[in-house]
Amino acid sequence: MNFVMGTVTKSFLRYLVRRKSLTLLQLMGIAFGVAAALGMGLSALSALASFTGAIEFLQGKSTHTLERHAGPLNEQILKEIMHDPAVHSFAPVIDRRLRYGDGASIRLLGIDPFLDSAIRPELSRRSITGAPHRDAREGMSFLIDARAVLMEANIAAALGLAAGGRLRTSHGEIEVIGTFPNPSGEPLLLMDIAHAQEIFLLPGRIDRIDLILTDEEGFLSRWRQGFRIRSNRQNHDTLRAMLGAFRINLEALSLMALFVAVFLIYNTTMFAVVSRRRDAGILRSLGAGRGEVVLAFMTEILILGLAGGALGSVMGYLLSRFLSGIIAGTVSNLYFFLHPLPLPWSFRMLGAGILLGCGASILGSIYPLVELARTDPVKSLSGRAMNRRGGPAARKAAAIGLGITLMSASLFLLPDGSIYIAFGALFGMVFGLSLMTGYAVVVCTPPIRAALTCLGGIPGKIAAGNIRRNLGRTAIAVAAFMVALSLSIGMALMIGSFRESLVWWMSGQLRGDLYISTATDKEVPEGFYFELLEMRDIAGVDAYRKVQITYRNKPMFVAAVNAPVLQRHTRFAWLAGGDEHWEAVKRGAVIVSESFARNFTIGPGDAITLEGRNGPAELRVEAVFYDYSTEHGLVMMDRHTYLKLFADSTINSVAVFLEPDHPRRRQTLDLVRQRAGAYDLPVFTREEFFGNILAIFDSTFAITRSMRIMAIIIAFFGIAGALMTLFIERQNELGILRALGFSTGQVSLMTLLEAVGMGLMSFLLSAGVGTLFAVVLIRVINLRSFHWTIFFHPHLSPYLVVAATAVLASLGAALYPIFMVLRTYPQMQIRAE
Amino acid sequence: MNVPVISARDLWKIYDHNAALRGAGMEIARGEVVALIGKSGSGKTTLLNLLAGLDSPSRGTIEVEGQNLERLGEKGRTLLRRNRLGFVFQFFNLLPTLTVFENVYLSLELAGISSPENAREALAKLGLGGKERRYPHELSGGEQQRVAIARALVKKPALILADEPTGNLDTTTGRQILEILTTRCRESDMSLLMVSHSPTATGFADRVLSMIDGVIVAADTGGAPMHGPAPGR
Repeated sequence: MNFVMGTVTKSFLRYLVRRKSLTLLQLMGIAFGVAAALGMGLSALSALASFTGAIEFLQGKSTHTLERHAGPLNEQILKEIMHDPAVHSFAPVIDRRLRYGDGASIRLLGIDPFLDSAIRPELSRRSITGAPHRDAREGMSFLIDARAVLMEANIAAALGLAAGGRLRTSHGEIEVIGTFPNPSGEPLLLMDIAHAQEIFLLPGRIDRIDLILTDEEGFLSRWRQGFRIRSNRQNHDTLRAMLGAFRINLEALSLMALFVAVFLIYNTTMFAVVSRRRDAGILRSLGAGRGEVVLAFMTEILILGLAGGALGSVMGYLLSRFLSGIIAGTVSNLYFFLHPLPLPWSFRMLGAGILLGCGASILGSIYPLVELARTDPVKSLSGRAMNRRGGPAARKAAAIGLGITLMSASLFLLPDGSIYIAFGALFGMVFGLSLMTGYAVVVCTPPIRAALTCLGGIPGKIAAGNIRRNLGRTAIAVAAFMVALSLSIGMALMIGSFRESLVWWMSGQLRGDLYISTATDKEVPEGFYFELLEMRDIAGVDAYRKVQITYRNKPMFVAAVNAPVLQRHTRFAWLAGGDEHWEAVKRGAVIVSESFARNFTIGPGDAITLEGRNGPAELRVEAVFYDYSTEHGLVMMDRHTYLKLFADSTINSVAVFLEPDHPRRRQTLDLVRQRAGAYDLPVFTREEFFGNILAIFDSTFAITRSMRIMAIIIAFFGIAGALMTLFIERQNELGILRALGFSTGQVSLMTLLEAVGMGLMSFLLSAGVGTLFAVVLIRVINLRSFHWTIFFHPHLSPYLVVAATAVLASLGAALYPIFMVLRTYPQMQIRAE
Repeated sequence: MNVPVISARDLWKIYDHNAALRGAGMEIARGEVVALIGKSGSGKTTLLNLLAGLDSPSRGTIEVEGQNLERLGEKGRTLLRRNRLGFVFQFFNLLPTLTVFENVYLSLELAGISSPENAREALAKLGLGGKERRYPHELSGGEQQRVAIARALVKKPALILADEPTGNLDTTTGRQILEILTTRCRESDMSLLMVSHSPTATGFADRVLSMIDGVIVAADTGGAPMHGPAPGR
């Protein structure tokens, strides 16, 4: 039996070599699909590994952290901590960021090298002794010199800094006195905590205390009120939770690329089945069983899956190195600092790629294999065309597709707002709509025929007919291309709508004339804030403070604002009601963002309990407002309420408001800039601030752009594959055309117009499906992922861009088939078989 | 009493209310060469497909070496084709990705006979020695058909079914092929049923049958039909 399988399998596998171009197309389609899925997965893993590695490195041997709910701690607390029976060891920490160069960010850890020796022995030892064999004076430099830092070795090498080197930062110049290895790879500076207090203007204050506890319960019972005590596990989980929705969306995007690849595999596998039908009939007539023929073909599929998966794993690995930088940048911009640590190549990645490739190949081949098993040897030997699926099959597929689409759509109406169900429903819809493509091609044929005839005369007419007649080939290619183009349109519309919503929100909520120290790590000294308050000609100053806390075990944010100033100078976007809500805020109520309201099912009139310095405090929710600053939710309160609750006078940034028609407007603004300059605080105009926000917004979607491009590349292979198979299958037909007097140019034009026709149909269908996709993304996916409303702002530009993409991709896909026509058509004859 | 190699009775095959066979029947004895002639569309190929077990009759029975095809089931019919039947087609139907040798050897492998020498011998006997490594597209039509005949003969089946074996060849080559095919069959005591629309085949046969509109008429018996009553009547 193995021998028989050997020859039967051999007869199939040699087609891979014979039809190199098709094999290559199929291989590339699988490879790109695997690359997209694996690349995204690896880059997410890399980010997670970096994130986990960095946390573990920084945690050292500590078991818990103690900090205030908001703001820094008074270092006097250390005296009490020291004597707590549950504390085995403790170390105060200042954990901040510096910017340097072109705005790159680096973490600075202020430590007490003596107390820290129990928590992070390697680092603290390094800090005291410095480089080996150095003298005592240099070893003490860390403690004595106010600007002395130890720098992590990798970043030091990247910046070309060694001991004695200096670096200009947002908080002044620092001197590198040595380097240290950091297995997590995160850029890190170590500084004596006293010096860190100076440069960050935190006299007598620290950010947190890292602890080694021997009795967690006992410690919590004594310290719970007024402080946030978290185990390492809790810290890790909180940070992970912050990435939750972001990761899910990324994974869904990569699966979409794989989905398109599966379509492509189906297309080329179907063709392979069709071209093997005659061989299958011969084998059956010689006495080969159905199973033997199917198994031989499956071997071919698995070889392609293996080769494509292997290639895809390498491509995916390279892609992940590119994507992990983008992901880390996005996470750092939106959530918390993350430095990517590209994963080293391992053969597990090869294994994963092969598994994905084979899995996708088998999935895409199920139906073709069933078709092959059901091959009627009589029909296949007689050469009767089974390969050209006509109207009835397309109608049947469309009916099934419609059913799947409607069922999937109904899932959106389920009360359980699970994001996984939403994504599942979205995929179901896309699949269902893809099944309807064949029928849609039939329906679209008359207008397409008119268009192609207009473009190319008789060759155009024949081209349209060919597309219609070879539905089994063309419908799948059109479906795959349609899915990729729809993804592009849908994402572009969603991103465009999001951008418009963001601009609308900014225009209402961010109406300051100047923004000082926004989106930087530099805090605004309270003294400067008071200076601004006393300046004449300034209509209002809003001191903004934003801090991340935990509410019902989920991360969210609290913001302190100057309610009277915002009431007067901004136009908040309320879900209901208007600026009258500020009155309640001035009296101690809070307003919550839409994300908070949805995330925690809180509405106006409800009460929320926040842990303050004096224990739990109940706050009444006055209203809900639209907000895009964080998907985890924001509770906003007046600064007085915040100070009462947390006694944290930190100011992250300040907004300065002037009367619009103030006669000395320019001079006042210049004066503010000057005063801010004295504190080395960055100042932005409203336009610059908007620009910074939009730049972050645009960079956030860099990943989706990459995935969209991948999907289109994959679908491009689908169109190219379809054209090649049409060319190969229709050799006899082309011989007839030649006999009738068609020139090479006319047949080339026909091939080109087949491509254009398929591209055009894909675009027309994607216009509708893509718009639907956008609506689902906006009204369902985004809402369930990020809990905020995006207002739909349809634009023409995504459709135009996608139309151009469709035409260009189609033209590109036609190049090789046209080359084949030019090369072989002049020799073609009518053959009986 | 010798069991006929193949026996068909009252065969009907109906497609979409059109009957391709209308109660056809026939028997072929061991070692007998029979030619079945008829015009295109008369039902010859349909009959061959039924006899090979590739298709099922709407009504009637077929027995190959005493075994009822219907009762054998799909697996049994596959084994029958593998071991006891050989096929020669009009369009050769060689597997294009296998060499000449591999095409012939495949037949042996399917029959469970791992004997490459037999394949080479079969090719040599048909004048194809030295061409074992060529691919079908590198051969002429006549050579391809000889490969197909070698493939059919090599496993020494009880019966060879040849569907228009010369239909795609010129007259001279066609005659050569018929000569080879019938001679080899007689040498090996294999039965042969040749279906053709060309009268040339009749000169090589022991017996000639005619197919007219789905009915087999024995050409030697003055046109008396060989069929049974229609189904449903």
